[in-house]
Amino acid sequence: MLGESKFKIFLDLINNSAKEELIWMNGYLNGVVQAQSKQSPAAETDGEPLVNKITIVYGTETGNSKRLATDFATKAKHKHIHAKVIGMDQYRLTDLPKEEYLLAVISTHGEGEPPIAAKKFYDHIHQNGFKLEKLKYSVLALGDTSYPLYCKTGEEVDEQLNKLGGIRIAPLQKCDVEYDDDANGWFNGVLEKLSNKKPVVTIEVAPSIPIPAVAKKVGKQSYTGSVLSKINLNDYGSNKETWHIEIAAEGVVYQCGDSIGIVPENPTGVVEEIIAVTGADRDRIVKFKNEEFTIYDFLKYKINIIHLTERLVKQYGEITRQDIPATRMNLLDLLKIYPVKDAVEFEEVILKMNAISPRLYTIASSPAAHDGEIHIVAVKDSYIVNGQTQFGLCTDYLSRLNNECSQKFFVQPNKRFKLPAADKDIIMVGPGTGIAAFRSFLAERDATGASGRNWLFFGDQHFATDFLYQTEIQNWYETGVLTKVNLAFSRDQKEKIYVQHKMLKHAPELYDWLEKGGYFFVCGKKDPMSVDVENTLLRIIEQQGNKTSEEAKKYLEHLEDEGRYEKDVY
Amino acid sequence: MSEKNKLSAIEKIKLESDALRGTIQQSLQDEITGAIREGDQAVIKFHGMYQQDDRDRREERAAKKLDRLYSYMIRLRLPGGFLTADKWIAANNIAGENSTGVIKITTRQTIQLHGLIKAKIKPTIQAFNEAHLDSIATCGDINRNVSCSSNPKESPLHDKVFAYADKISTLLMPKTKAYYEIWLDEEMLIDKKVEEDPLYQDRYMPRKFKIGIAIPPNNDVDVFTNDIGLVAIIEDNELKGFNFAIGGGLSTTHGNTETYARLGTTIGFLDTEEKILKAVYEILTVQRDYGNRSDRKLARLKYTLDRMGVDEYRKEVEKRTGFEFEPARPFKITSRADRYGWEQNEKGNWYYTLFIENGRVLDDEKLALKTALLEVAKTGKTNFLFTSNQNMIISDVAPEDKDLINQLLEQFKIIEHTEAASSIRKNSIACVALPTCPLALAEAQRYMPLLLSKVEPLLQKYELENEQIVMRMTGCPNGCARPYAAEIGLVGTATGRYNLHLGGDNGGERLNRLFKESLDEAQILSELDQLFASFKEERISTESFGDYTWRKQLAVAQ
Ligand code: SRM
Ligand SMILES: Cc1cc2nc3c(=O)[nH]c(=O)nc-3n(C[C@H](O)[C@H](O)[C@H](O)COP(=O)(O)OP(=O)(O)OC[C@H]3O[C@@H](n4cnc5c(N)ncnc54)[C@H](O)[C@@H]3O)c2cc1C
Ligand SMILES: Cc1cc2nc3c(=O)[nH]c(=O)nc-3n(C[C@H](O)[C@H](O)[C@H](O)COP(=O)(O)O)c2cc1C
Ligand code: SF4
Repeated sequence: MLGESKFKIFLDLINNSAKEELIWMNGYLNGVVQAQSKQSPAAETDGEPLVNKITIVYGTETGNSKRLATDFATKAKHKHIHAKVIGMDQYRLTDLPKEEYLLAVISTHGEGEPPIAAKKFYDHIHQNGFKLEKLKYSVLALGDTSYPLYCKTGEEVDEQLNKLGGIRIAPLQKCDVEYDDDANGWFNGVLEKLSNKKPVVTIEVAPSIPIPAVAKKVGKQSYTGSVLSKINLNDYGSNKETWHIEIAAEGVVYQCGDSIGIVPENPTGVVEEIIAVTGADRDRIVKFKNEEFTIYDFLKYKINIIHLTERLVKQYGEITRQDIPATRMNLLDLLKIYPVKDAVEFEEVILKMNAISPRLYTIASSPAAHDGEIHIVAVKDSYIVNGQTQFGLCTDYLSRLNNECSQKFFVQPNKRFKLPAADKDIIMVGPGTGIAAFRSFLAERDATGASGRNWLFFGDQHFATDFLYQTEIQNWYETGVLTKVNLAFSRDQKEKIYVQHKMLKHAPELYDWLEKGGYFFVCGKKDPMSVDVENTLLRIIEQQGNKTSEEAKKYLEHLEDEGRYEKDVY
Repeated sequence: MSEKNKLSAIEKIKLESDALRGTIQQSLQDEITGAIREGDQAVIKFHGMYQQDDRDRREERAAKKLDRLYSYMIRLRLPGGFLTADKWIAANNIAGENSTGVIKITTRQTIQLHGLIKAKIKPTIQAFNEAHLDSIATCGDINRNVSCSSNPKESPLHDKVFAYADKISTLLMPKTKAYYEIWLDEEMLIDKKVEEDPLYQDRYMPRKFKIGIAIPPNNDVDVFTNDIGLVAIIEDNELKGFNFAIGGGLSTTHGNTETYARLGTTIGFLDTEEKILKAVYEILTVQRDYGNRSDRKLARLKYTLDRMGVDEYRKEVEKRTGFEFEPARPFKITSRADRYGWEQNEKGNWYYTLFIENGRVLDDEKLALKTALLEVAKTGKTNFLFTSNQNMIISDVAPEDKDLINQLLEQFKIIEHTEAASSIRKNSIACVALPTCPLALAEAQRYMPLLLSKVEPLLQKYELENEQIVMRMTGCPNGCARPYAAEIGLVGTATGRYNLHLGGDNGGERLNRLFKESLDEAQILSELDQLFASFKEERISTESFGDYTWRKQLAVAQ
């Protein structure tokens, strides 16, 4: 329908544009079309800023830079610019080349040195060998004129980013001890430059764009990602080992609230021992559900050899013609106590085993905030069999993953456990690893600038060692993404305090949120947590809405029907 | 600094603090952080506490997405460093329950506990209160702990002089009831009149304020490093009164030439108690009214004094007191050392001064010091005195109880430990620095003992091991261990690096001078090796090391 010439321009434009640009244009056009069709007056009056996403990184020793950075972010929000605030020690350096609009607030310490927390970032940008083509930036340097090397670090950062190809949005601004006026002046200047208006276009642009084929696929979609990083979130002295794992998977499609499934491998030691005690030929090929494996791979990757069901143990007895008491056992122990006759019998046994079942992990990342990545948080499972501490198969496996190694997983969608419309209030109860879903929710709402209020209840054993994602939660609270946070650390005082106790403490307000149409989400251990939480919720509804327990139950069922009471518990 | 005349941020916080209440109550309620609100961090200092965090753990915790490991240090108010046995027992138990367990004797004769988490502050203060101990005004822009020569053997008049430390401390206490309200849950004040404070008003001092009292011939308190130094004048066994030396202060800032260490200037003598207290009071009011409130680096009395001129300052004080200072009286100072071991005073009571390296009281594999002192206290037959050299005196032991105490000290190897320590070790002090001090650029108390072990052989090499050389180390130029008043001063500049200062005198009446900058350990040791060698060679008769290096003009042009 386009005329020859128009069409050519159009094609050229497309051919010279990056994916992001195309996505943007697409959204822009959508917007224009819609704007014209219902010639929305909004288009003229209020407008969207030219840039609506910036990153503010800070390097601080005594907190001034951080304070400024978070203030700026809040200001930006009012101008409809979404600002991600992050400390240089938290910042993932591999993100730098992806940055488009970066503001750095950094102080100078020691004798003209960067704050300790900024050292990694500082060193990184001082290596060459990479370019920052996309980068537009500006630096705010905090310092003190009574030091000989005034704002040295800020100067260096400004210079390096420029050397690496960054373009200055605004020139370097140095600030003395009384920094407020200069700092705000600088930021307003930057805002000016960023917020020249463009006509309103429907937000949510990016999500609404169909990205590569994969998105079309339905049901479980498997991916092979590579492990970006793995951190034990618990500090020294904790009873726990809770792993935050980041997996890169280009084009991965999921929504907040979904989980991923991971099939663990069996421990090499055990597999080797099985081969040893049975004298099986590790390289022999076996066929299982028309797939071929060597015996070794079959034992390592395919079948469950731990804690066999009574049925399988019974079956083993039948095959090997031995009578074995009905109980659950590990394959290795079976083979040791009730040996197989020969390799043939061994093969018959293992071919009747079950496949290793996948373990599910609630996704802790958000599509809008962590493009092309999946984050999970898994607590190392342990249990005791005859006096010995054993570790859960998958969590033990995950705790041994190395960076860069590749990892298969599939996305397990969760239809009901979903973020409601942007303007809805949500109450999130997620102690322990239950925080996963809500880190995802909050990151998403932060990135999309959703207007609804957010209230988090989190808990674990000790404040000092077990406050999972503490710095992120603090940032969300400081920037107003989190409206309320209440914490329950069970072992910091004589009497145990859990999330449900904190809910009770805030009963009137909690009920008020529900009455105003708020959503209530629970994530984490099914038992006893989610049970106690539900009972407490009923109690609150009873007391606050002075209802009978029957009416309270009805009230809760009603919430459930409206999808306003959702659980992701295990 | 920008905008000279503008009030510094801290000044605003003080003015808006509602008599030092700030928003502490709310800060204690904040669930998501172990820290307190920014303004309150300045306010709680006046209540004797500092917010700190374990700097050793910062980087790793950040990687774990955990906030800094915040905790609080609390400093007790003990005028003249005196403590009864049962108070020591209380402190010992409170330290065990609520803090790291280590009791730190400071360079101003008091004790500090470290590592209290936010939730433990209140219980701690309440427990102290039950033991009749408090931490009011031990930090902040206000008169601090008044220090006083600790060794009773110094003079039969020790008690008389000591009493002044107490009176001055009481005279200069703030009037606000905030401490009782916030920490001891006392009724909120309805009638704020009670709190009206003619001395501090609502702005308090422009900066911290320190007073020390020395009893010649010993200057263990380093009297001339205080904002007000009182030197007891004792003639034919009578306390005649005090010489007033004002404007002492040590802190400097690397690279900031406007800042400097300074010893007090003697402005005269006063006799009666009434005059002495009045003068002290008005010296504060002048500093309160004339001190710099825009630049905290230049706010101490020493800068006010040099800006106004000594005579002007004295005249202003005299105008306010209504009487004049008499000419200063002569006195003689011979040392700053503690008198280790047993000593008997003229009343016949016994005192044992024990060596406590850098004032850190704890049990370790080598020595069960904390347990020993607890046992001693439990006898109920002693009191305790802290010295400005971070040591302790087990005091007021009646003749009949001496054996009992001595036995305990033997049993726990305290005597052995004290006698075994080399004389340079006994004359050395180091500040806290890492990991708790937020201002530390280098190690001090964790490192000094190791360094000394390498310095001792050098002294032996030149048969100087019996010299009473005063060596002091700090982790930054603030000078908490008074390094600028030492014969050998080491001032941290960066991790593992120190400025070497030389030439202080033995009695603390002369500041040293910068000799070499940013030395690492090897350099420090080789410099000292050469210095000791030439000292051995060239010293004149019994000339002290400090006097020798001074005479040789060993210092870089500054
Ligand atoms: C504990 C002690 C050192 C010790 O190992 O004993 C100490 C420890 C600290 N001093 Fe000090 N000062 C201590 C005696 C001194 C002295 C020596 C003296 O007073 O005889 C000085 C030098 C004399 C002077 O005041 O000029 C001293 C000059 C400073 C300064 C510099 C003040 C100035 O005029 O600029 C600071 C920094 C500040 O106040 O801004 C400071 C600050 C500090 C702080 C509170 C750091 C801070 O501001 O956050 C240190 C706490 C470390 C910790 O973790 O405990 N401290 N401080 C001493 C406690 C004395 C007491 O019981 O009150
Ligand atoms: C929807 C969903 C979401 C989830 N989200 C998360 C999440 O976000 N984070 C998270 O950490 N977990 C999550 N889980 C739980 C997770 O899927 C795993 O169940 C958990 O990690 C334990 O797996 P594992 O392989 O480590 O332990 P397993 O090896 O499966 O062992 C689990 C338990 O089985 C018993 N057992 C196993 N072997 C033996 C034996 N030989 N003898 C005796 N007893 C034995 C023990 O009681 C042990 O504790 C989720 C589960 C579901 C269903
Ligand atoms: C120990 C120390 C060393 C400092 N060194 C410098 C310096 O070399 N140059 C400078 O411009 N500022 C220096 N400063 C001042 C800080 O940069 C200034 O206080 C800044 O506001 C701190 O910001 P932050 O809280 O984000 O770390 C120093 C401050 C401290 C406490
Ligand atoms: S001298 Fe510096 S490092 Fe040492 S305690 Fe004082 S302020 Fe901290």
